[in-house]
Amino acid sequence: MEPFESKNIVELLKRKDSATFQKIYNDNLKTFINFAKGYHIEEYDSYDIYHDSIMVLQENAINGKINDLKSSISTYLFAIGKYKIFHAFREKAKVNITNDIEIIEKNFDFDVDFDDKKLTNQQTLLKNGFKKLGKRCKDVLELHYSGHDLDEITDILKYSDKNVLKSQKSRCMKQLKKIIFNYE
Amino acid sequence: MNNYELIDKFFENSLTSKEQRSFNDSLQSDKEFKKEFLFQQDLKKVIAINRREELKIELDQFKKEYQGKSKSKFLFNSWLIAASIALLVGFGLWFVKDSYFPSNEQLYVQNFEPYRNIVQPVVRGKNPKTIEHSAFVAYENKNYHKAINLFNSVASPNETPFQFYKAMCFLSLNKTDDAIQILLPITTTKEIESSSKKFTEMANWYLGLAYLKNDNLDKALSQFSIVANHTDYTFKKEEAKKIITFIK
Repeated sequence: MEPFESKNIVELLKRKDSATFQKIYNDNLKTFINFAKGYHIEEYDSYDIYHDSIMVLQENAINGKINDLKSSISTYLFAIGKYKIFHAFREKAKVNITNDIEIIEKNFDFDVDFDDKKLTNQQTLLKNGFKKLGKRCKDVLELHYSGHDLDEITDILKYSDKNVLKSQKSRCMKQLKKIIFNYE
Repeated sequence: MNNYELIDKFFENSLTSKEQRSFNDSLQSDKEFKKEFLFQQDLKKVIAINRREELKIELDQFKKEYQGKSKSKFLFNSWLIAASIALLVGFGLWFVKDSYFPSNEQLYVQNFEPYRNIVQPVVRGKNPKTIEHSAFVAYENKNYHKAINLFNSVASPNETPFQFYKAMCFLSLNKTDDAIQILLPITTTKEIESSSKKFTEMANWYLGLAYLKNDNLDKALSQFSIVANHTDYTFKKEEAKKIITFIK
């Protein structure tokens, strides 16, 4: 069996491997809900916080922020969750208890802003256009815009050669633009 | 270095300070450059949004599956208790079971089984490295998310067999509505080729199960009636008749 170590998992998360997400989800759910119960969070709300935390985990993995993660994925996930719980508390009760959080992770970036609501026309067009691309193109562009250079993407997506990837990327951009202009 | 490479490097967070300056200059003075940059910046934003939307859907699905598992455990336990009591009271167990009225969910669970792979036999050792083959390997390994992706990526994803097995994946993942959307057209096509006819026949049964799972009894009943009464059909005829007696 492949060792389920943080480094491997981060790679799998970058590739958005569904089975990995599900395993993390199932392994930690019960403990997390009990953990949240300790802070008087209703089960219904715990699920929301839990889901948000996993989304932050994905963002940080894909943006290369936890490449050097020292602790286990579960510990990191709970640190995010804990941060979110305190955040929810602060908003509800208007008290500042941030000082209570003890987090060892240096890469503290738990508060990812999901600014998803307001889209311009061009963005909406782009959003739909992007969905029409093949999986390979989506993966390449996604990693590029998450701050990975060609070497890293070659590695993550297991391309044989950087130049193949490079021309693939430029084909994908052309294809995307073609889709968008056909829309207009 | 051409201008667009500067934009690439910007998104890779790898501009040197000198490059950063020429990047800034181009942004100020070159309209095309600015347009391209803004386009890519929008692209970056929508890609992140798409990614989160996809994960959100997946997480909801994980939640459903997780709760489904605990629920069926609970149902199973309740059934055990009911059976023990029945034994104690002295009724015959079989009598109790016969009179026991299963829920739609239970009927579904008892009857649903993803159809075996009859398209691409997976043989240890000598296998073609095609997307089709990988899809069926994933399918046989019950790696349904992966299988769906691969079935979508084959050269002709709209062919009936691929559609059919994709529907099997969705059913296995409890994405019943997605499965219905695929099965419905398969049941209504007038296939001439005999291999596809087989899939049409089986799709009728699975569509019935999907409706049953969604508690859509009218539609489920009409599907199972097709399965039970169609003169050309042999697949799951008896099972369909049995379900009809429960839901009628």
